[in-house]
Amino acid sequence: MSDLMDKIHSTFIEGDRWKYLTNGLKTTLIITFFAVLLGMVLGFLIAIVRATHDKTGKMKIANFFAKIYLTVIRGTPVMVQLLIIYYVIFASVRIDKTFVGILAFGLNSAAYVAEIFRSGIMSIDNGQFEAGASLGLNYRKTMMYIIMPQAFKNVLPALGNECIVLLKETSVAGYIALEDLTKGGDIIRSVTYEAFLPLIAVALIYLIIVMFLTMLVSRLERRLAKSDRG
Amino acid sequence: MIEVNDLKKSFGDLHILKGITTKIEKGEKVVVIGPSGSGKSTFLRCLNRLEQPTSGSIIFEGEDLTKASEKRLYEIREKMGMVFQHFHLFPHLSIIRNLTLAPVKLGLMSQAEAEKSARAMLKKVGLADKENAFPNQLSGGQKQRIAIARALVMNPDVMLFDEPTSALDPEMVGEVLNLMKQLADEGMTMVVVTHEMGFAREVASRVVFIDQGVIAEENTPEEFFTNPQNPRLQQFLSKVL
Repeated sequence: MSDLMDKIHSTFIEGDRWKYLTNGLKTTLIITFFAVLLGMVLGFLIAIVRATHDKTGKMKIANFFAKIYLTVIRGTPVMVQLLIIYYVIFASVRIDKTFVGILAFGLNSAAYVAEIFRSGIMSIDNGQFEAGASLGLNYRKTMMYIIMPQAFKNVLPALGNECIVLLKETSVAGYIALEDLTKGGDIIRSVTYEAFLPLIAVALIYLIIVMFLTMLVSRLERRLAKSDRG
Repeated sequence: MIEVNDLKKSFGDLHILKGITTKIEKGEKVVVIGPSGSGKSTFLRCLNRLEQPTSGSIIFEGEDLTKASEKRLYEIREKMGMVFQHFHLFPHLSIIRNLTLAPVKLGLMSQAEAEKSARAMLKKVGLADKENAFPNQLSGGQKQRIAIARALVMNPDVMLFDEPTSALDPEMVGEVLNLMKQLADEGMTMVVVTHEMGFAREVASRVVFIDQGVIAEENTPEEFFTNPQNPRLQQFLSKVL
């Protein structure tokens, strides 16, 4: 028992090594938060393009590029995308790594968010579009006031899950030497030669955050289900 | 009010409407009947261009809909109310907001004006107490009456009904038909696609029989039902009456 206490002490307390974890967590949360924002905004715009094309046949060129984007982003690992953005696209400029992380994970998430939004829009009965049109509401107004509020509600749980996935995916940020939570644990491991404690600690922190977010999503789902029943 | 000339509509190789020509005068109540797949719903949906006609023209209040710009088309639709078989109320909005959404967002009325008009309309359809309810709290008959009220708030010149009672439980058909009769008595121009022969006989100023994409016969309800000429119509009536 005292052996374990000693180990905890030497792993986390000595040299204030716990700060690797807290600073790492801060970085992870910052990257996740802004990447989610970027992903939502960009994903929403891509979804509008895709759905408008599917529904009206317009925006052919924008849809073409959107499709390429989705294919490339969803067809390659996020880690490779991160490495390419850092070592290829920003190779010759000094740039804040956190920013690179936000950009890489945000661009990646946007592709998934776009498909979530699009499926939400396409799941709305075509009669809703027709009802809007028959009242004189054009496509844009029908989208804005009739389709989007319903679609958004339908996809909220899926969007919540995307946030959870994104949080976990940021754990590869260490590959561009970003000191996120995972990297923080790994640094402790490399200093103390003790793998068990720091890595388990990192896993626990992720788990707690994910469980918290999962609880929020399922609470949201219950609330939405209730309002569906009227 | 509406002049339809040689209206044709095809979906690929499938020719649904094969040349429909008719004229709907102001105040007329035209009931369209026909076997399923005859093209009667497609005809109605062409009238406000929810379906894009393949050829032919539709002149509404002096303006050819088939040639109208998209912007103009939406303006014209403000004057053509439509009621669908499956209601298509907006489930995320309260009843009053279902009624006020279009006039407010189109800039035709302020929220207060729209609500006043919506409340008057709810009273007219007998659902004044439901203004804060949501669509999924209503019965089918109530939903359809709300759908009619929603169209009426726009103050349309003509009302198009696409099988408004076909999705209703039998005991709810009456309340919707009664409301439509009331509208007819008030002088609303109406085009109604329906299987309700009693309604056609009682309310229609003219009954149109569409079969295989053409108007096979049209006449006053008395002549239409007691003295049908077209053999297909005779056959159809013998089955449904």
